[in-house]
Amino acid sequence: MNKIFALAGVVIKELYRRKDFYVLFVLTALLTLAAGAVNFFHDDKIVRYVKDICLLLIWVSALVISVVTTARQIPAEREARTIFPLLAKPVSRWHVIVGKFLGCWLATGVALVVFYFFFAAITGSKEQIWPWGAYLEAVWMHWVMLAIVIAMVLLGSIYFAAPSSTSTITIIVVGGVLLLGTHLNTIALQQPQPMQSILATVYFLMPHLEWYDLRDFVVYDMGLVPVRAVALATLYGAVWTAIFLLLAWFGFRRKSLNT
Amino acid sequence: MNFSPLSLLVVLLALAFTLATNLMPTAGNWSQRAKSDNLFGMVFGDGRKLFANHFFTMADVYFHSGYYPSVFDQKSGEEKEIISASHGRKETEEDEKNEDFLGRPKDWIDAFGRNFRITRHTHLENHNEREILPWLRLAADLDPNKIETYTVGAFFLREHLGRADQAEAFLREGLRNNPDSAEILFELGRVYHESNHNLDRARNVWQLGVKKFLLRAPDQQKEDKLLFEELVANLGRLEDEAGNYPAAINWLRAAQKVSPAPDALQRQIDDIQKKAGAQVPATPAKLY
Amino acid sequence: MTAILRTEKLRVEYRSREMRQQTKVALAGLDLEVGAGEVFGFLGPNGAGKTTTMNILLGFVPLTSGSASLFGIDVRQPIARQRIGYLPELTYYYKFLTAEELLRFYAKIFGLARHEADQRIAELLKLVELEHAAKRPIKSYSKGMQQRVGLAQSLINNPDLLILDEPTSGLDPLGRMKVREIIQRLKEQGKTVFFSSHELGEVETVCDRVAIVHQGELKAVGTVAEITAGHENLEKAFLKIVGVQNSPLP
Repeated sequence: MNKIFALAGVVIKELYRRKDFYVLFVLTALLTLAAGAVNFFHDDKIVRYVKDICLLLIWVSALVISVVTTARQIPAEREARTIFPLLAKPVSRWHVIVGKFLGCWLATGVALVVFYFFFAAITGSKEQIWPWGAYLEAVWMHWVMLAIVIAMVLLGSIYFAAPSSTSTITIIVVGGVLLLGTHLNTIALQQPQPMQSILATVYFLMPHLEWYDLRDFVVYDMGLVPVRAVALATLYGAVWTAIFLLLAWFGFRRKSLNT
Repeated sequence: MNFSPLSLLVVLLALAFTLATNLMPTAGNWSQRAKSDNLFGMVFGDGRKLFANHFFTMADVYFHSGYYPSVFDQKSGEEKEIISASHGRKETEEDEKNEDFLGRPKDWIDAFGRNFRITRHTHLENHNEREILPWLRLAADLDPNKIETYTVGAFFLREHLGRADQAEAFLREGLRNNPDSAEILFELGRVYHESNHNLDRARNVWQLGVKKFLLRAPDQQKEDKLLFEELVANLGRLEDEAGNYPAAINWLRAAQKVSPAPDALQRQIDDIQKKAGAQVPATPAKLY
Repeated sequence: MTAILRTEKLRVEYRSREMRQQTKVALAGLDLEVGAGEVFGFLGPNGAGKTTTMNILLGFVPLTSGSASLFGIDVRQPIARQRIGYLPELTYYYKFLTAEELLRFYAKIFGLARHEADQRIAELLKLVELEHAAKRPIKSYSKGMQQRVGLAQSLINNPDLLILDEPTSGLDPLGRMKVREIIQRLKEQGKTVFFSSHELGEVETVCDRVAIVHQGELKAVGTVAEITAGHENLEKAFLKIVGVQNSPLP
């Protein structure tokens, strides 16, 4: 585990030494503060739209941070050739995959905590309430979803040399799943064969990332999601993460790396 | 020809300036967007109406705290909700049943996924209705000609939040953008009548509303007959309140002609007739 | 002599895009043995198979047939690299880290305890004369400084076998002298050094034994004296072995 944590540590250092996170945080903060400063009908108790906008920005920022950070990990190691001194140590390619995953996931987790604290501060200052339980569930589920996304991006980065290709494809896939995940079965039923069967198969085989979006529960103060459901969703997320990491390793373990 | 880079740059700048001065007078006609007098119009052009519709729907989504059908869940003829609410109609049990758009879970993914969706049909209450206002404000800014935005916004401001002053201001803004809107005039009349208890101003506004309504094409009048009914029925009740019984009966009889429930109006007319005695003319007067 | 680096009938083939996916043989049954405490020079013209051999030993590319082992462990096992240090030809390090952070990262990889790592990092920074720049990001280093960081990282685990790929390439004379000194010191400590180089003069001065590969095959192996027997110097011997009778240069 030491090797994996050492690798993860480098990824985390890289994230906080780059400007991406700071730029996105400042952008999110500025847009949220600007939205919060607008006065609608001289009513200063209106808050849900601020929560909604802030959470949307957090979701977009977290997705961008996780995808962009992860997509460049292995291609950058290969391009900058840092992979060679690394693999010349007693480090297996599985260690590299898991270490990179863990680093990106932990780094994204740190970013999420910062973002959600900002969210809690802004909305709490307006509402004077802090439903920590709901926030905790929302952050946790968001983080679990990002684990799947990060593993997916790592898999993509093994096959696509350019980080931009991996990032674009993943963002489209994740966006598609978040928007259509729930409805794909309904859409399938409206299609002729063989499209119906194809879409139904995709519906059952794809990772249902939309489950992890608890923004509505936070925005509308709808209380907590049952803990059992959160636990099962976490397990489901862990299984998908493991699947993507294994596929990434299958691709990476036999890859020739010529100096 | 031997140009130095600097002289070439000067020539290009001069050319750009000359073209700009020549094209400027005609360029204004190339796009309606450039003529728009507000920022949204400039940025989005006609596309702003799409955003306005989206934000108007967002208000409805907020009103239901996220329990709202997506485009995939919607059945035809299911748009209403806020609009019916704006007319003061309570949702019936049938409406509630229609709102169960989720139905039975289709499979385990759908069933499990419902843990993470809002699955309870609720409406905002206890002044939380204010949360829909930002979306209505944005919808009005994006599409100043969308009448429902003003009427719905004013309804919630007045009826649920007790902000008659803001409701009036919002409706006045709507009226400036849509001077012929009988709907806005109707809602404005309600502000004066129900909140400010100013019968004269309410009467004037509603009467203007009736006039504007009667200027509509016959087909349009037929389509919007419920608005007409609401206008004249409210005028009838206002005149009853003011003690002008003949006028009250006259308005209510006009309402009867288009009302889906003429009997209820007849009962109101009978009551007024009892109060008025001989004052009531046998035949109704012409409206205008 | 105990062999700590061994290849047997090592064969590597790959499909080359330039050759329209035809199979190219990079190594054709290479047999090599390096004993403990030796300084072993691995020579050959460009494309001879030196880099491929190193890539196999370090697990970067898979072998087609034959075997390769370090300390008796198959090179495909990461643990085979527990006791080696590797210095690549060019500097390939995380430039956003400082030299100290980079060394600490590699120390963690080798599972060094914190106090042991602290001590080792201090020693190595002193050895490569980078104490003053230890807390500066590597991206701010000159090329020579980066190469010294590379040398330090290759020694972090106090390796028994050091694999150096063109260790003096691109260094100024002072830098080269420093590297030679370090190789000499490691030899005195009983360490094994396996290195490739085009600097035949350098090889001649520091190596106990030399191997010359050409077109994926081992052409000669022996002590410097054995290889140069009957030749003016190692360069002349090398040129003869690889089939160039007369140096193109005067």
